[in-house]
Order: sequence, then structure tokens, then C-alpha cells
Amino acid sequence: MLISLNELKQLVNIKISDEELFKLIGSRLVEIEGVEDLTPKYKKIYVVKVTSAEPIEGTHLHLCKIDAGKTLNTEVDPEHDGFIQVVCGAPNVKKGMLAAWIAPGAIVPSTYGTAEPFEISARPLRGFTSFGMLAAADELALGEDHEGIISLDPETAKPGDLLADVLDLNDKIIEVENKSLTHRPDCFGIFGFAREVAGILGQSFRAPGLPQADAWLKDEDIYIESPEICPCYTYAIINLKNPLAKQPYFDRHVAFLAKSGMHSISNIVDLTNEYMLLTGQPLHAFDYDKFLAVGNTSEPKIGVRLARADEKLVLLDGKEISLVPTDIVICSNDKPVALAGAMGGESTKIDESTKRVLLESATFSLYNLRKTQMAHGIFSEAITRFTKGQPAVNCERVLLAVAQEIANVSEDGKVESFGRKYTTPLKKEVVTLTVKDINDLLGSDYSKELIAATLENTGFKVEIEDSTLTVSAPLWRTDIHIKEDIIEEVGRLLGFDNLPLEYPMRPFVCPEVDSMLLVKTRFREILSDQLGANEVLTYSFVSKALQEKVNESPEDSYQIANSISPELECFRQSLVPSLLDKIRENKKASFSDFTLYELNQITKKSLGLSDEKVPELQTHLGLTAFGDFYKVKRILSEISKQFGVSLQLKPIEESSYFEPFHSAAVVANGRQIGIIGEIKSTVLKRFKLEETISAIELDISGETFEKHTSINRDKRSGIKLSKFPSVSRDITLRVNETVPYVDVETRIQGTFKEIKNTICVLKPTSIYQKPMSKTKNLSFHLDITNEEKTLTSEEISGIIEKITNNLKTLGAEVV
Amino acid sequence: MSKLEELKLELKNLGQEYAKIKTLRESERKAFGEQVNRRKQELLARIKALEEEASSAKVSPIDITAPFAENAKPFTEATGTKHPLTVELDHVAEIYRQMGFNVIEARQLDDEFHMFDSLNFPAGHPARDGYDTFRTTEGFIPPAHTSTMQYRALTRFRDHLEKYGQIAVVVPGRVFRNEDVDATHEHTFYQCEGVFVSKTATLGQLLATWKNFFETYYGQTLNIKTQPGFFPFTEPSLEFQIEKPASLGGKGDGWLEMGGCGMIHPNVLKTAGIDPEVYKGFAWGGGIDRLVMLKYGINDVRYFESGKLEFLKEF
Repeated sequence: MLISLNELKQLVNIKISDEELFKLIGSRLVEIEGVEDLTPKYKKIYVVKVTSAEPIEGTHLHLCKIDAGKTLNTEVDPEHDGFIQVVCGAPNVKKGMLAAWIAPGAIVPSTYGTAEPFEISARPLRGFTSFGMLAAADELALGEDHEGIISLDPETAKPGDLLADVLDLNDKIIEVENKSLTHRPDCFGIFGFAREVAGILGQSFRAPGLPQADAWLKDEDIYIESPEICPCYTYAIINLKNPLAKQPYFDRHVAFLAKSGMHSISNIVDLTNEYMLLTGQPLHAFDYDKFLAVGNTSEPKIGVRLARADEKLVLLDGKEISLVPTDIVICSNDKPVALAGAMGGESTKIDESTKRVLLESATFSLYNLRKTQMAHGIFSEAITRFTKGQPAVNCERVLLAVAQEIANVSEDGKVESFGRKYTTPLKKEVVTLTVKDINDLLGSDYSKELIAATLENTGFKVEIEDSTLTVSAPLWRTDIHIKEDIIEEVGRLLGFDNLPLEYPMRPFVCPEVDSMLLVKTRFREILSDQLGANEVLTYSFVSKALQEKVNESPEDSYQIANSISPELECFRQSLVPSLLDKIRENKKASFSDFTLYELNQITKKSLGLSDEKVPELQTHLGLTAFGDFYKVKRILSEISKQFGVSLQLKPIEESSYFEPFHSAAVVANGRQIGIIGEIKSTVLKRFKLEETISAIELDISGETFEKHTSINRDKRSGIKLSKFPSVSRDITLRVNETVPYVDVETRIQGTFKEIKNTICVLKPTSIYQKPMSKTKNLSFHLDITNEEKTLTSEEISGIIEKITNNLKTLGAEVV
Repeated sequence: MSKLEELKLELKNLGQEYAKIKTLRESERKAFGEQVNRRKQELLARIKALEEEASSAKVSPIDITAPFAENAKPFTEATGTKHPLTVELDHVAEIYRQMGFNVIEARQLDDEFHMFDSLNFPAGHPARDGYDTFRTTEGFIPPAHTSTMQYRALTRFRDHLEKYGQIAVVVPGRVFRNEDVDATHEHTFYQCEGVFVSKTATLGQLLATWKNFFETYYGQTLNIKTQPGFFPFTEPSLEFQIEKPASLGGKGDGWLEMGGCGMIHPNVLKTAGIDPEVYKGFAWGGGIDRLVMLKYGINDVRYFESGKLEFLKEF
């Protein structure tokens, strides 16, 4: 929303500097997004009278003489009989009119502050020197109109005047963030905004008086389907003797619309818009004769109802829309003529022939209008206000004021009749609270007198009894319901930044940290600090295409109904696919042999819902590495060792993207928590990856890891240090190729359990299988230590013999 | 003559010297022989050492500016890295933990109740549009702010009110907004929510607490200022700004917007089973991505979820 500082200054006595005012508004009312100072933009732009305008043959141009006042005339162009010569391309330039002239040396306002400001100079055009230019509204940055130059009112302007003085452009425009006023419909008009500014400055405020009605017609001619959709509807019928559809002059009113981000449409519509900007109350003007014709009636039969199935409506902008059942429509004798609160209809549009105006001032359900806004994509100034919940209190008064103004537009114009209907009585909210309530919540020490005065400045009524305050909210404050609402007003108007800062007391209790956060931190230490892996974060939403690449079924994913793009349609079921998607790009950036991992949440429909009836989530580790199964097995072993968690590997026969016979299920406490192994080559091909890639997808939620974080770690199996020297032996065993490695290793380790006080550190040194051979050779390096003595070579030989004997049942022989 | 040549000459002369032994008396011969022999051994040792040095001096110099030796393969870098966002989340959580706050993690898929209903958004209210919320076809919501966790934080630690007189929780988490991505906007980002409830909580305490966090985070005292805001779940509602810290080049003039805060709306407490007549609370929440961007001078938020190693290896 754009607010003119000059308008504010007319309503409130502001004695502080503009900068201080903006700071105060920012800290006590609403976020200011920016302030535009218009003054430098309109330097050297003057009102001029066109004294002659002759067509230049063979062109659409006119050669004009203009009068900018004696001083300027001689200063700028001493050669043309005391006037200034200008070439003008506008079709509407004519002798005698007052126009806006951008003098040589001035910047065209629409280019002011842009990357390429356009400075006007005296330059030849078709053989004539043009001193400056006559300007259209768009060039002046006062609208979009480029059809002709603007024409100024001789009653308020004379040649040589500065345009800025005539149109009130020595102004600053404050742009406020609408979102932080979502609950304050009353601030969407300058009067309401000014009331708050007065309150901040500690002043009381009276809005400019609006007329009261002497007599109202009965409400019989207004039908409202249900109270919820329309709390209040008022109308006036105005008879115009001489319709004037176009604004004859670009005056302060039009400039005010422009400064507020709107533009002139016709004198009647402009009036409704101007009052909306001032009061926050949107209005709509219908051509009354068309309204009656559409309804095929001679009496006003105004209806407000929900749209019915299959109804259509052509709007003012010429577009036909299919109405939805939550749309509220205004009807003439049950025939829809306007989309309430959003946009009028083509069939009752005001035009140059309009003789009678039906003016509407009403409030509608913000809930319905919100849906209308979404369904039809209408974001007008009016609907922006209605969706904040315009209070019904303004309907009548604004209607009367605007009706009278419209009547005044044409000679002998007259307001013929009024009608109104309230379906919901106006209700004043009264809140009772104590001074202590206020100071306890704010942490302040305000007196009841200060509190009462502060509230009364912005229209509240306060009755004080001892330390209890009975606060009546003004009718326009639809947001006031509870104590806290009043406390907010006091804190805000007196300045939250003035509150004393004080720390809460803290008990001596050790805070808890979610174990999952600790588990993830530990994983990062192991993977990044110790194993040299790179942590990445990728999106939680993936494409169906990605899921299909890895043979996941998109049907099992929660689908984002309003996704930004097909790339972000499905909530991911696992992390490895997102990582596979990042490998190629990094390879291209000439990284090689890197390990990517991510710790993040996943879900899928088949996991079901939790006790809270929300999707069950798991936190996963996803990891990809260059290399075969054993590469990731080593990483998993390190994880298992560092956490002190026992993880078993079990063969798998089927998986969506892991190669079954080169992968294994990871099992902890009898539960499968993930898969490690090589990615199927068919899958890798789809990612355009040629080398062997292996991966880990591990569910790290649940108790497997949470018991083993930095706070709570298991003991290590640990090697006891002996003061006696160890003895090394290398041993190679030949076994059948079908004998699993782990069986051989277990037998060797088992042997040492039988020998008292003896420890063996075993390292596999090679696993060798000759091509075509049915056997393989397993070589180990053994470091054998006794805790109590130095072992003799006889004792060592005895141990080796024991090992050999223990391995015989596996068919193993020492080579 | 070099030192080596001198020594060699001396060794040669020593042979002639030894020949004098015949001219000596029997009794003197032993001592003389030993003396000459000791000298001979000394010379031999020194000659050997000098010869070794001379031969090693023949090693040709290497190019110490090269990244690896000629004819050798480049080193493969296996430096592990942690994501700057997760590191910062841990860091932020740790500061709050030391301030006495429990830390819980936010969910990444939630529902209408936690996102809106429990936070005092009236059904169908336009305020629900202000969050550019994603929805799944089933109506679940990837949360648009960590406030979605307020109800859980309040109910999970409700017994702390009896036990310790207060609830103090922060919730870091990933959140989602349906908006177009550019250098400063991401549809996926991180926030940290704070919730505090006690019988004596005040707005002044809220401002002091959040200020204290930033002072610890930036290691300096900081001025703060606020703006009135609107959130259905807090009343009063404020936007919170801190003075630009010196570590980010602040000179006491600029301000940084850090997020929204306010006193928890009585309806939010009531929904969570806490009597708003007895207890009051405050809540606040702000983005993490921006802290990281400011800290490292990152100019494009899109790097975070890009998975690009050239970015990640910077950290």
C-alpha cells in the first residue's frame, strides 16, 4: 500500500522530521518497505499554455508555441516572438490548453532513478528546434496513459507554475508491507492510518466528518441470501443530468490516485477509488439503467447471494468467468451483474452515456472473497481490502459522502434515494483488564493514566475503576477481542523498543537434546572428519522421473499437489537417488573418487501414519562412493565400530536399485535397517555413470544409534596392552571357494579363546583365487601376545597347529 | 686445497710419520704406535663423513612450488567436509542448550492441525495464505515454518512447568515455501524456533533472550529494535532486528532483520493444555540460511542444496 506523506500531514500535526516519523511508523505501526521522495523527480517541469499548434505537413506532429511565463520564455527560447517552440506528437494538443512541459535540462520523470535517466534538451525535429517536450501521464510517471498529453485545469494552474505545486507532487510516498496489517482493515485507508500515526505521536485524532443520512429507504429492495456472506449492504441512486464520463483535467485528485498506485478511469469511478483510498471502504458504481434492464425490472431488486452451478459472468475487463459456488454475486432481480468485492460486470458498466448511477457500499465475507481471489486470480485494491475484513461501520457514511460527490459532478445532479440492510448488528467489543495484566505481560511499569490516554488517542473509550480498565473498542476495530489485543495496542503505541530488557530466571537443570540431533552430529564426525566424505543437502521433493530411474514407485510417495515444477513433485522415499543425481555434475567439475552423504528425513505412504495421524518419518543416512561393495562395507564397519553398534549383513535377493548379489541387508537387533552395496548397472546407466558406484541407505532413527551418541557410548572391546613382546606369524589357508570368509576368521579367533591369556590381532592380507580354480587362498597376518610371559617358538607352533586342526572341518589346509 | 684433500694428505704423511717408529726406543714404541693409530682412525672417519656429504650434495633440487613431483600422479583429495548449514544448526542449538533450552528436531511433513489450527489460525482465514504452503494430495503439509512444532514442544515439556516452573525449548528444522527460487529465495530452507513459558514471562524477557542469543553468536553486545508484526499465534507480534555486528562489517548503522516473535497467544497455550490464566509464554523464530550467508559472504542461497563439491569444499 502506498501512503502520501502530504495527505498524512493534512490530517495529523507532525512536528518531527520525516526521517524520525518513518522510524516511528516502522517501530510502532507497520514495516515500511521504502519511501520515495517525489520532489527531485519533478524539477523543471512547468505548467504552460499552448498558444499555437500547427500541423507539420507529412507527419503526425504539431509545431507549437507555448507560454511558460515571461521569464522562462525569454530564458529558454529568445527567438520565437516571446514564446517557446516545441514539437509535439500528441493528437490532443490544441491551442489554448494548459499542458505540462518538461523543460530542457530536466529528466523525464518516468526514467528518473532508472539505469538510463533521459535528460531533455533542445533538439532539432523535422527541421524545427524543439525546446523540451509536452508530457503525457506515463512520461510523468503519473499513470499508464500515453494517448495524449495531460490537460491541466485553468482554475488551479497558470503558465509558469511548477507542475509539482499544482498537482501536490512535492511529496514523499511511503510503501508499507501489507502483510503486517493483515488484521488491521481500518489501516487500509489514509484516515485510519493517520489515526495510528496520531496515536504514536501521543495525539488524539478526529477523522474528517462524513455526512449522516436524514432518511433511509426501507430495506425491502435488498435481498441477502445469508447473514454470513454480507453483514451490511447499502446503496444510493444518483441522477446525473449531464453525464461526464471522462475526467476533463488532470488535477490533484487524479494525481492522488496516481501517487497511490491507481489510475484515472472516469470521474465517477475515480471518486469511488479516491474515497476507498481515504477510508478503506471499497465502493462500486453500476449504471442503474443497465442494472434495471438486465434484471428486466423497473424497481431496484438488489440481490446478494452465492453463485449457482454453471453460472457465468462477464467482468469489467471483458473476461468471462465460470463462477464457483463460494463466489458471492450481486444480482439484479436474481441475475448476476457483479462479482461481489472483486470486480463489476460488463453488463452494468459505467460509460459516457450513463445517466443514473447505482452506488454500492457493502461488506462481504472475507472467507468467501479469499476463495474468489484464489479461484479467479483477482488482486484488485478493493479485494485486498475486503479480504482483511472491512468493518460494516463505514458502509453508510462513505456511501453518503460519495453519492453526494457524484451528484455534484454534474450540474443539477441529485441523490434520489438510499437503501441499506444490516444482517449483522454492529457490535462494540468491550474488554476488561487490569493495569497489572498489561505490565505483567509487557514487563513494563505504565500508569493507568498513560494507558488510558494512549488508547483513547486512537478511538478507544476507557473507563477506570481502581486499577481495572474497561476498554470499549471503536466499531472499526474488528481485531480487538481479548486482553492481549489491548495489551498489544498499549505496548505498540508506547513503543516495544522502550520496554526494559530482563532475563528470565533459569533453573539448574541439564537440558535435553533430541538424540537424533546427537546421532547426526556423530555421523558427521565419523564420515567427514575421519573418513573424508562430503556432506550434501538435497531437496526433500524429487521428480517422478528420478524415482522411476531407481525403480521406486511414485505411487508410494506423498505427492505435492501444488508443486513448483515436475522436478519437485514427490516427497522422497530414500536419499541415495538424490545423491546419484549429484555425482555426474561433480565428476564433470573434475572431482573424482568422492564420497557424498546426506542425513535427512524421508517418508513414504507404506510407512503408515504415526499416533498423531501424520506420516511416519524416518531419518536416513544416504551415502554414495566410487568403488565396489567392499568400499562401503568398510565405511559401515567404521560406523559400527565408532558407535559401538553391532550390525550384521544378510544377503538380499531383490532391491529396487541395489544389485542383489553385490549388496547386503544391514540388520541391527534382528531388524533390517538398511541396505549397502553396489548400484545396479542398469540404474547407473540412467544417470550416465560408467564406473562402479556403491551406496548405503540406512535408517538411523530408532534406538540402534541413539543409545550410542557422544553422551552415551558403549565400551570398546579394546586391546589390552601386554608388557611382553608379541610374535608375528603369517599363515595362508586354502579353502573351497564356497566357504565364506567369515567362517575362517571366526575359527581362527575362536582358537585363541581356548588359549588362556593369549590375544591375537588378525589382519587379512590377501584373498586370492586363481582363474578357473575351485579354491581360494586366504592369507592372514597374526600378532600373538601373551599377557603373562614371552611366548616360545614351540608354544607358537602349538598355537598354529591348533588353528590348523580347528579349520580342518572347513576343509581348509595350510599352504 | 679442499678440506678433504688436506685430510687425505695428512693421512698420507701419517704413513711416513709411522715409519719413524723404528728410530724409537722399545719402551716408547707402543705409545707412539697407539697415538698414530688413533690419529689415523680419526682422519679416516672424517674423510668418510666428508665423502658421504659430497656425494649427497649431488641430489638435484626439486620444484617446491609444484603441487606434486614430475612424473607422479596428482594427489586425490579425500578431505571430508560438513555442510555449512548443518554445522551452523548444531552451533545455534548448542548456544541455546547452554542458555538452558531443550533442543528438539522439526518434522518435515506435518498436518493442518500443527501448521494452522493449533496456532490459532481460524479455519479458512486469509492469514493461512500468507505462508505459501505446499500441500500433498492427502492434505499433509511440508511445514512452512518451525512454529509448526510449537504444539509438540509445549505438550512434550508441559510437565516441566510443574517440575522446573518453565518450558524452554528450541526447534531447528527444515521448512518449505512455495515460491520461485532466485539468489535470495529458496523453496527449501532452515529455521530455528524458540518457545518459553512460565508464570512470569514478559515481552521484555523475550527481547532480552533473543538479544542474548545473538550477542553470544556474534561475540559482542548488540543493539536491537522491533517492528509491529502480525502472526495469529502471538499477541503482541513483532519483527526483530539486530544491529549489524562488527564481524559482518557493521559500524553501528545498519540493521539486520532476524525474524518474528511475540507473546504466545492464549489460544495456543490453551490448545496445548496450558492454562493461559496462569502461564504466559513467548516464542520466536528466524532463518538459519541467512546467518550462514552473512557469515561466509555467500551471495546465492541456491548453493546450499546444489550438491556442488566446489561449493562444499570451501567449508
